[in-house]
Amino acid sequence: MMREVRIRRLPMALSALVALALSIVPLPALLQPFRPDFLVLVVFYWSIEVPQAGGLSLAFFAGVALDVIKGVVLGQHALALTLTAAWATHLRLRLRVFSVLSQSLTIFALLTGYQFILFWVDGATGNPVTNFARWLAPIIGALIWPLMVGILRRLHDRQ
Amino acid sequence: MVAFRNTDSSGRTGLLLRCVLFALLALGLIIVDKRYDHLQRIRRVLSVAAYPVQVAVASPFEGWAWFRESVTTRDALRIHNSELEQELRLAQFRLQRYEALEAEIQRLHALRDNTTGVAARFIIGNMMDVDLDAFRERALMNKGARDGVFVGQAVLDAGGVFGQVARVSQLTSEIILISDASHAIPVQINRNGLRTVALGTGNVGRLKLPYLPTSADVRTGDLLVTSGLGGGFPSGYPVGTIAKVKREPAQSLADIDVKPAAALDRSRELMFVWPSPEPEPSTFTLPVKAPNGAAPK
Repeated sequence: MMREVRIRRLPMALSALVALALSIVPLPALLQPFRPDFLVLVVFYWSIEVPQAGGLSLAFFAGVALDVIKGVVLGQHALALTLTAAWATHLRLRLRVFSVLSQSLTIFALLTGYQFILFWVDGATGNPVTNFARWLAPIIGALIWPLMVGILRRLHDRQ
Repeated sequence: MVAFRNTDSSGRTGLLLRCVLFALLALGLIIVDKRYDHLQRIRRVLSVAAYPVQVAVASPFEGWAWFRESVTTRDALRIHNSELEQELRLAQFRLQRYEALEAEIQRLHALRDNTTGVAARFIIGNMMDVDLDAFRERALMNKGARDGVFVGQAVLDAGGVFGQVARVSQLTSEIILISDASHAIPVQINRNGLRTVALGTGNVGRLKLPYLPTSADVRTGDLLVTSGLGGGFPSGYPVGTIAKVKREPAQSLADIDVKPAAALDRSRELMFVWPSPEPEPSTFTLPVKAPNGAAPK
């Protein structure tokens, strides 16, 4: 808390908005299952990096935005994102000393948890999606995590 | 790799508390949204907030399409034009027959004293260049409550039935395709009037008829049309053709595949159809519940 007293929320909001747009950009049907959960990665980054800036509220509202824009049960993504973002915040001190590989593996675990909560809510509300391809997104997400950190770090450091 | 700036670990309990709080809030949202209708209005307002994002995503693609269209050569336009003229001639030729047939149908209906609604009013909507969910057959249209679109409304393309409206917001609406795994549509075989229900499979090129016995009179190539039962879809529109009939002697039900008539993976301009008002009030009408769990507004 000594070095950075002022918390800038603009990069947070901006990156979240861009990630939200990326999550509905049309892709060829063949590539669609491979689309990583951009917004989830962005929320993870901010809840690891500046947890005191309200990472959980960001997670909750980003989740609601995903629910609205994807037209699923309201609260589904909000629940999944809140729980996994809290988990990421909890792990942030450990993540700091991890190598790139271990970080990506941890992110993979978090993304799988996220996907599992979505899966569970889908089943509980009566629209189960038992497509195996939905478990691809965590793998892709973990693979592009180092890249996301690089981009967001640049955005974060610029000011 | 990362040097995190902030090492303050203040509020582990605060984190837990906020996490539980937000999670309960989200669970509450899920339950209220699933069980009751109160969130419809909130969702409609939120959708308006999401509209700029959707437009921002869709507009570059639409701009590119517009650009490509505007730089097509004169030759291409002329060829296209002559093709269209030819099609128009053919369509007009067919239309003459259609008018005669329609008149005949009206007479027959009058005879039977039972007038089913033939679609009278429609508007054309465009699909927006937005991916909703990779594992569900949904699409976002640029017509919404402002244009009078309602939940459960039938949506057609040039080939036949495309889907129905699942959710309406002020400026946009979300349609569920007939090929969605959770969609069912009442149909009838045109050749002999046999009625059944066609279910989506989650695969754009295939529907299935799981409820017909092996002895049912179904042949490959039979045309399926909407039966109009249940009131959701206007009757008489093509749904698909029978692609494959598999009869296992050991099974009591046949395994029948249907190829949809609408170009579910290609059409972008779709018609929202209003059933024509009943000419005479029927004696008794059941409240029609929109299929696939979407509650009528």
